[in-house]
Amino acid sequence: MAKIESGMEAMLDMYFFETNGLLEQLDEILLRTESAGAFDGDDIKEIFRIMHTIKGSSAMMGFDNLSVLAHKAEDMFFVIRENPDVITDVSFVYDLVFQVSDSYKAQIEALQNNVNGEYEQMNFDELIDKLIKARDKLTSEASGDETAAGGSAKASEAAGGAAGAAPVKGDGKTTVRVFFEDGCQMENLRAFLLINTIRDECSFLEYTPDDVENNAETSKEIIENGFVVSFTANDGKDDYVLKLIESAMNVQSYEVLTNAPEAAASAAEAPKAELPPEPAKETLKTEKPAAPKAPAKPAPAAEEKSAVEKAQAAVANANSGAAQKQSLISVNLAKLDALHDIVGEIITTESMVISNPDLEGLELESFNKAARDLKKLTGELQDTVMSIRMVPLAGVFQKMNRIVRDMRKKLGRDVDFVLEGEDTEVDKSIVDNLQDPLMHLVRNCMDHGIGEEDPETRKSLGKPEKGTIKLSAQSSSGEVIITVSDDGAGIDPERVMAKAKKMGLLTKPEGEYTEREIQNMILLPGFSTNEVVTEFSGRGVGMDVVKANIEKCGGQVLVDSKKGQGTNFIIKIPLTMAIIDGMEIMVGGLVFTVPISTIRESFKVEPGQLLNDTGGKEMIMIRGVVYPILRLHEKFAIDTEVTDLKDGILLLVETDNKSMCIFADKLIGEQQVVVKPFPKYLARYNIKGEGLSGCTIMGDGSISLIIDTNLLIG
Amino acid sequence: MTNDVIREAVAKQQSGDRKLAADNSILGKVMTFNIGEQVYGIEIQYVTEIIGMPRITKVPHVPNYIKGIINVRSKVVPIVDIRTRFGKPEIPYTSRTCIITLNFNDIAVGIIVDSVADVEDIHTGDISATPQNKNVNENEFIQYMIRGENDNTKLILDVAKLLDEQEA
Repeated sequence: MAKIESGMEAMLDMYFFETNGLLEQLDEILLRTESAGAFDGDDIKEIFRIMHTIKGSSAMMGFDNLSVLAHKAEDMFFVIRENPDVITDVSFVYDLVFQVSDSYKAQIEALQNNVNGEYEQMNFDELIDKLIKARDKLTSEASGDETAAGGSAKASEAAGGAAGAAPVKGDGKTTVRVFFEDGCQMENLRAFLLINTIRDECSFLEYTPDDVENNAETSKEIIENGFVVSFTANDGKDDYVLKLIESAMNVQSYEVLTNAPEAAASAAEAPKAELPPEPAKETLKTEKPAAPKAPAKPAPAAEEKSAVEKAQAAVANANSGAAQKQSLISVNLAKLDALHDIVGEIITTESMVISNPDLEGLELESFNKAARDLKKLTGELQDTVMSIRMVPLAGVFQKMNRIVRDMRKKLGRDVDFVLEGEDTEVDKSIVDNLQDPLMHLVRNCMDHGIGEEDPETRKSLGKPEKGTIKLSAQSSSGEVIITVSDDGAGIDPERVMAKAKKMGLLTKPEGEYTEREIQNMILLPGFSTNEVVTEFSGRGVGMDVVKANIEKCGGQVLVDSKKGQGTNFIIKIPLTMAIIDGMEIMVGGLVFTVPISTIRESFKVEPGQLLNDTGGKEMIMIRGVVYPILRLHEKFAIDTEVTDLKDGILLLVETDNKSMCIFADKLIGEQQVVVKPFPKYLARYNIKGEGLSGCTIMGDGSISLIIDTNLLIG
Repeated sequence: MTNDVIREAVAKQQSGDRKLAADNSILGKVMTFNIGEQVYGIEIQYVTEIIGMPRITKVPHVPNYIKGIINVRSKVVPIVDIRTRFGKPEIPYTSRTCIITLNFNDIAVGIIVDSVADVEDIHTGDISATPQNKNVNENEFIQYMIRGENDNTKLILDVAKLLDEQEA
């Protein structure tokens, strides 16, 4: 067990956030470039930057194994980057980098689960070894080709990067003054990290203050005067070192104080705020500390002016860059949750005030106007808060790409993976709960669906040889429906039944199960029909975990499959804090809310409209169409005095082209309600399955149950 | 309190060692309440608040001891009637009937009790284990007992079991 360095705990969250973000970016680039078949220069630079940042931050946090791993990966990409034209076969690199990314994720997970700072430190020696070998292989390939083609100039030209100038051989030192981001803390350590980063690339290195490693007092000096580094880069690659400095963690800006003369042109074009170049001999190290805006003295006046302007423009650019950076902030989710709760309560309280019984019958013109304004504002407040928490599903969906890629390789089967509706937005907390279930489902589709049919079988069934897995999302009346479907073997009800019987999972006589019920048995704990346990599925954990996870965020999983045609897993999840327009109805002493979007009309029964079918079920004929009637008091076992259809009221509700009439005692009125899930304690009872989607607190403080029209009808 | 603490306390009393048996340190506090003649207790760290009987909204398709849900400052809390849960006959609610809301592992539940009695200290010397007689329905929810004066034994509820029970 290793221990997280004390004092670092506070920065852990930030580290996780940053690193996880970078890893996701990395995966995305890898997947994109792999399917495209080639890296382009920007991608390599981006990967290099990611590895570099991770290396730096891991080292700062004291996670040496991670830092070394990133360092080796970085080394490997360095070779690729330096020789873009000679290294063409990079396919084996993908697997390696994916492994690196996975190792990172595993270690970070272990870190996140740390107990009092104790965590399990993983050993990446094997992987590091592989990376070193890969690098050596690439290097020898590169150098071999290089001498043959004499392409070293080309290679180093690429190294020149965005500045576009050929690197120069400088005899003189380059002196740079580096400023770190305001408030980034521990400036001395960051400076030390910076030095470590560029040390390997420099033949000469000197810096002031020079005791940054063990003297925390130097932080102050660095904040005030900047951190001054003089270096001579290996092979004259000063530009490269400057780039390293530029991309190092927490570096806000740097200025070149003295420079090797030939490098001037490219330095002036560099994006960050820099001072005009000055002759190498003049060392500004000892000059006034407020040097940043001091113009270059020896330059002629005209030139000086333009140089100053240029510098100012550069500063302005840098500033606007900084402003852009700050248009995004990361907020602790707990704070958002609190905000979200408060807004919910404000809306409830608002209705309590505005529809307060004390106001009944009063003529309150100005009160009503003020109330309307308030309502409008709280509505806006609520929309804004909701939108803050909404994130697109794209992030989770993209991760599935990765699963499919791995499975493709392992199973040796090619499939098309289709994504639809990734821009559908869902509450952040739900997105977090979706990843595991989706992963299991996609794996299941690969393994059980596509994997169980070989291409010949598929052909004989008239299906394309290549299977398709589709992941789609859409929002529909207050909920998001996510479908994971494959066109594989489908679920064989007989096999499922046989298995369920063997496992003793049946709760009623075999003959009474409908096909749908049989299919949904695969969601039961301990159920797995796959005889062979593979790495991906078939361990009998999984499907019930999927179900549990989805139910945790208030959703539902349904299985819809046809043997030989494929399987659809349908996940329905609510948008939390969904606000719905509801119609309040009374049944017995209980108030229910029916989403207005599903109500077509409400009416009193007229004699002659009622019918009974052969089974004695009540039906009603409206304008020539017959609808079944559902008595809510019977459905929910409520005592009520209104049992004659003629005394109560009927609501004609419709969803997905199915309609029925709901019978209630009376209508109360329309109200906008905040949907609250049922308390956790009640999750074990199948309330949702019985057609209630949640509850809501009404204006008078009492609770109303929200009817799930979809379920009631279906 | 964990079961280990209870076992330790019981072991001390039975050890025969006078010094150990005389240990009467305070282990915590319980809130006591009455169901009929019997006094029950709940360790105070699980208790959120005591409220009078509000209007309870019934919820369909739940066991009869779950009386419904209530609104406690915009939080929806399910209500369990302890009487019914323990298989005792229901009695009409009186002005002394009240709800104690509990919180365990983020699961909030309110329990209906006949009346709230007191808050008192738990002394090591008063703790005794529950009898191993499992055929009484309520026994499974009793974690340990506290001996009071006049053989007035208080049964301390196992909140974890009460709230976290896994029933299909």
